Amino acid sequence: MLWVDKYRPKTLDKVLVHQEIAQNLKKLVTEQDCPHLLFYGPSGSGKKTLIMALLRQMFGPSADKVKVENKNWKVDAGTRTIDVELTTLSSTHHVELNPSDAGFQDRYVVQEIIKEMAKNRPIDTKGKKGFKVLVLNEVDKLSREAQHSLRRTMEKYSASCRLILCCNSSSKVTEAVRSRCLNMRINAPTEAEIVNVLEFIGKKEGLQLPSGFANRIAQQSNRSMRRAILSFETCRVQQYPFTINQAIPPMDWEEYVSEIASSIFKEQSPKRLFEVRGKLYELLINCIPPEIILKRLLYELLKKLDSELKHEISHWAAYYEHRLRLGQKAIFHLEAFVAKFMSIYKGFLIETFG
Amino acid sequence: MQSQDIRKWFMKQQDKGAGNGNSSKQTKPSTPEKPPAVTPQSGKLVQGMQECSGRRKTSKYFAKDGKNAKDEMEVEESSPEKKGQRGSTELTKVKPPAGKKIHKLENDDEDFVIPTSGKGSVDTTPNKKLKSGSGKGVAQKLVDESDEDDGVKVQSKSKSAGRGRGCGAKGSSSNPTTAKGMDVDESDPEDMDDNDAKSVKSGGRGRGGRGAPAGGRGRGGGGRGGFMNFGERKDPPHKGQKEVPEGAPDCLDGLTFVISGTLDSLEREEAEDLIKRHGGRVTGSVSKKTNFLLCDEDIGGRKSAKAKELGTIFLTEDGLFDMIRASNKSKTSAQNSKKPVDKVAPSPPKKSPQKSEKTNAADIVSRTDVKGLTSGASSSKRKDQSTAQTWLPWTEKYRPKVPNDIVGNQSLVKQLHDWLVNWNEQFLNTGKKGKGKKQNDSGAKKAVLLSGTPGIGKTTSAKLVSQMLGFQTIEVNASDSRGKADAKIQKGISGSTSNSIKELVSNEALSLKMDRSQPPKTVLIMDEVDGMSAGDRGGVADLIASIKISKIPIICICNDRYSQKLKSLVNYCLLLSFRKPTKQQMAKRLSQIAKAEGLQVNEIALEELAERVNGDIRMALNQLQYMGLSMSVIKFDDVKQRLQSNSKDEDISPFTAVDKLFGFNGGKLRMDERIDLSMSDPDLVPLLIQENYINYRPSSAGKDDNGMKRMSLLARAAESIGDGDIINVQIRRYRQWQLSQIGCLASCIIPAALLHGQRETLEQGERNFNRFGGWLGKNSTMGKNYRLLEDLHVHLLASRESNLGRAPLRLDYLTLLLKRLTDPLRALPKDEAVERVVEFMDLYSISMEDFDTMIEMSKFKGHPSPLDGVQPVVKAALTRAYNKGSSSRVIRSADLITLPGIKKAPKKRVAAMLEPVEETLAEENAENEEEISSDTEDQEEELIDPDKKLQAELESLNSKGIQVQMELKGSGSTKKAASGRGKGSAATSDGKGGRGSGAASKRKR
Repeated sequence: MLWVDKYRPKTLDKVLVHQEIAQNLKKLVTEQDCPHLLFYGPSGSGKKTLIMALLRQMFGPSADKVKVENKNWKVDAGTRTIDVELTTLSSTHHVELNPSDAGFQDRYVVQEIIKEMAKNRPIDTKGKKGFKVLVLNEVDKLSREAQHSLRRTMEKYSASCRLILCCNSSSKVTEAVRSRCLNMRINAPTEAEIVNVLEFIGKKEGLQLPSGFANRIAQQSNRSMRRAILSFETCRVQQYPFTINQAIPPMDWEEYVSEIASSIFKEQSPKRLFEVRGKLYELLINCIPPEIILKRLLYELLKKLDSELKHEISHWAAYYEHRLRLGQKAIFHLEAFVAKFMSIYKGFLIETFG
Repeated sequence: MQSQDIRKWFMKQQDKGAGNGNSSKQTKPSTPEKPPAVTPQSGKLVQGMQECSGRRKTSKYFAKDGKNAKDEMEVEESSPEKKGQRGSTELTKVKPPAGKKIHKLENDDEDFVIPTSGKGSVDTTPNKKLKSGSGKGVAQKLVDESDEDDGVKVQSKSKSAGRGRGCGAKGSSSNPTTAKGMDVDESDPEDMDDNDAKSVKSGGRGRGGRGAPAGGRGRGGGGRGGFMNFGERKDPPHKGQKEVPEGAPDCLDGLTFVISGTLDSLEREEAEDLIKRHGGRVTGSVSKKTNFLLCDEDIGGRKSAKAKELGTIFLTEDGLFDMIRASNKSKTSAQNSKKPVDKVAPSPPKKSPQKSEKTNAADIVSRTDVKGLTSGASSSKRKDQSTAQTWLPWTEKYRPKVPNDIVGNQSLVKQLHDWLVNWNEQFLNTGKKGKGKKQNDSGAKKAVLLSGTPGIGKTTSAKLVSQMLGFQTIEVNASDSRGKADAKIQKGISGSTSNSIKELVSNEALSLKMDRSQPPKTVLIMDEVDGMSAGDRGGVADLIASIKISKIPIICICNDRYSQKLKSLVNYCLLLSFRKPTKQQMAKRLSQIAKAEGLQVNEIALEELAERVNGDIRMALNQLQYMGLSMSVIKFDDVKQRLQSNSKDEDISPFTAVDKLFGFNGGKLRMDERIDLSMSDPDLVPLLIQENYINYRPSSAGKDDNGMKRMSLLARAAESIGDGDIINVQIRRYRQWQLSQIGCLASCIIPAALLHGQRETLEQGERNFNRFGGWLGKNSTMGKNYRLLEDLHVHLLASRESNLGRAPLRLDYLTLLLKRLTDPLRALPKDEAVERVVEFMDLYSISMEDFDTMIEMSKFKGHPSPLDGVQPVVKAALTRAYNKGSSSRVIRSADLITLPGIKKAPKKRVAAMLEPVEETLAEENAENEEEISSDTEDQEEELIDPDKKLQAELESLNSKGIQVQMELKGSGSTKKAASGRGKGSAATSDGKGGRGSGAASKRKR
């Protein structure tokens, strides 16, 4: 079993990082009815872990008994019926799903599933919660329409259904939805906290941790707990006992992106642009989300960039990321960013070095 | 003859080398001796040649009287004066004889014909290119020499040569300038009197044209002119360099041209256009009627051979230009010379037969219009009528009234006529006795199917023929069949047949009862049978049924006889396929109509019109009427302009569209053209543009040393393509179709406008053509991979060890998972490694397919595959080991079992059923309102040995699968015993996969 999963805190009491939040949540659930919740924070900060622990707190161990289904909804949308298929993870008390997977038909999913839950409201509510919980992941990727339809259903069916929303960035959730929820900001763990956790795991596993090794992993993890633990285990698989200078293997795709970045730096020409397009395609084919590619690419580019260009390039990256989300064909926008960067950088080089 | 020519040619070649000095010396002596000496350089041979040609000329034109002789004389004399600055008397003396000879030749009085005849003398006589080659050779040489030698010598030589030529030429052309034009174009055109110039030029040009280009080419290509020009047509050597003259619009009226080979400056189409514009006619092959063969170099093809055989006049491009120019400037002065032309080609007179026809036609029209009027009076009457009836569209007004009026397809009309005449005998008379027999054995069909493109008179002829034979027509067309007016008939085509058929039959019955002498015959015309689709289901079948029992003839009309819908009908019908009438036929009819309407249109314009409308007379008439509104004289150009857009409606492939947009001339396209191009396939063209825009070297960047401009243009184009994508989302997702124009502007036109230019390759070995858009393929691969990833994700979730999202799975987990899966295989001994890996896979319920997915997904070009270093033996062992254990984990990994026994393929696919392995199960089940029976059942099962039970469960997997399905379906109230069982099975297998099976199953209960 992977350490990430093995040492995931199962209850709110055992949480190592966001202890205060965990306690507050516990109080919230035990003392009174639970409001709708919106968890947001960077990936690897522990949102999912907290949510699962919270569910367990609410419903007891039965919340862990989940089943996976491919659900299929037939939705009447005016003249035609739309088939929507989604994977859901559900226990008797909650349903978890990823509505943004349905593409731009996500709003039907949101409406339907909430209605369905309302219909199937548990009859016998003595001593139990009179509601089910719907966990929606990646709410920030929901289309605007879905979010709009969400806000009505949230109120209408609030008697039978609680929503726990989970996303990376609250700014992509509409104001209306945010104001209907109790917002929980889950910060990324600090490096010290990560080191703490890593040492805890090391102790449990009975490993010898060279001094500073955990620190290095924490630094490279970009403050993502998941990443840190995973790369910790990767190091363990790769080589044990650890040496002080042991290399921490990067993720395969990150390596590839940094290759792209350095090839962009080497030459700015149509030919190079064409090659970069091929590489970007490769990343996309390997299921790396385009936003992540763009972000990582910017990160790699900024590392080597002259400071006077940094601002401009960041601006353009943001610009193209926005367009990326508006559009459909990611490669167009990624390529446009690369072309833009090349043209700016080339101009800069010519200006500086003639 | 030919051999002589060749010798001559080679002689000259030799001379060229040797005879520079000689020839120049020779010239002087030779000139006095030999009057017609064109080629001073060569010796007797050439003279012989000359004589030969001269003789031929004479023989050809001998008998005719010398009208222009005097002119010629004057001209002759003037020419030496002008030319010969030295004014050598010798020459003048020399000339007269030549002149005389030529005068005799001259007799043929036509100015226009003559120049060509002159050429003919050169060209025609010795076969083919050899001769022309020789001619050119002379000119060239002269020029060459004049280049090489200096001073008086050269002049004298060239002049003498020129004069010699001049004689010949003059002989033919009556022109002093000929010589000039030929040899020394530059020498003194100014000398010529302007008055002369025009009349003169026409001839001179004929010659000059020949000389000048030959010279030019000779300089460039070394006199290849004659020999090597077989094969395909090349671009005109002086394309666009000459000014195309404007002439009187009808100056070529009645003349027929044939174009052969490459012209000097015009593309063939341009030449055609030019001729047509001036009233001439261009045909494809030489015949007796052909007046001119237009060619600048005699490549000796079939056309020129035929032309020679028929004595057709050869004309060069310059000659043509001169004809046109002459007509324009000196209409009056050139009257004399024009006369002959008029004789040959007076447009009205030439069509004398047609004219008579026309009057006939007019008569017919008038007769039909106003019966009882004499034809003489009818014309005036008709005028009134036409004015009175202007509100009628011409298509109606001039609908043919008698079968002979129908344009083209006369034989078909005749056939139709015969069929209709014979119908009664064939089917009706026998109808009482043995209808069936007759139908079967005779080849005759009871119905007829007329097919052909729109507007060529199918309906008209059907009606006309039936009218003529005294049939009453019942016309049913697509509009009727749906309308209410003709209810009875309508039912005949569609829906219930009985009504109409009865009607038809009863009609017949009536007619039979009535007097035989004048039976009120009817014919059913089913128009547009191929349009019988949407509203009238089974229409065709119905029609066939009607045909079978019909007692009246049925005429079916369709456009496309090969249409799928008509396949069955075709078997029951006599097929008559109407062809498009030829443009001449159409033009004839059109000119009758134009005349009747008082429109002045020349034949050529009408033919052009006929060609443009592609055989559709109706359209031609409509166009004509429209044009007639604004002008009373319609010229070729008007027609062309009016119908210009028509010719463009053709399919463009996306590739051609992209080629055009990005092409070098892409910037010159009009906006609507660009939109048309990019709209030719609004989905594919943007993809092609996106794929290829990097490859273009923008011509707008100009000189671009460091590629900076290009890079910034690329960035702009890329952004615009992105815009296009965003707009496309709006269009598709929110159905904002009004944005489609702006979408194609952003995704195609702007990038193309920025980057159009030369295409270059970016990769080694790439062909320099536009690639097909890569996005489609990549996108589908991406979709596939996402599906696979989703499968893996579901499996991981089903393992309940982890609760992760899909993105983190790919971004964070994948590397470690792969390491855990492959590292042992690489490092550890085989058995141990396999055992470990399988254990890990079972823990996370990763299937073998998922394993492959992961490997596939972490492959990057230029990076080692994660599976590198793993022995194939080990991999095989892993697969084996995994499969061995697979029986125990079917449910876990069989996420997408299809459940047999259910009719409809279940939409709900069971991913995995997992129930906790804890004591609380019973409680939970109770909570779920499960019936107790499930528990009892489980309890019973518990008695059995755990292993056996497991076996049994696995065996009955299918049925359980169904039960599982039911459980899923009954999401609320209808939970059944089965569900408990399903869960039980899941749990057991779970146990087996993960922990000790026995313990697990025990614990479960």
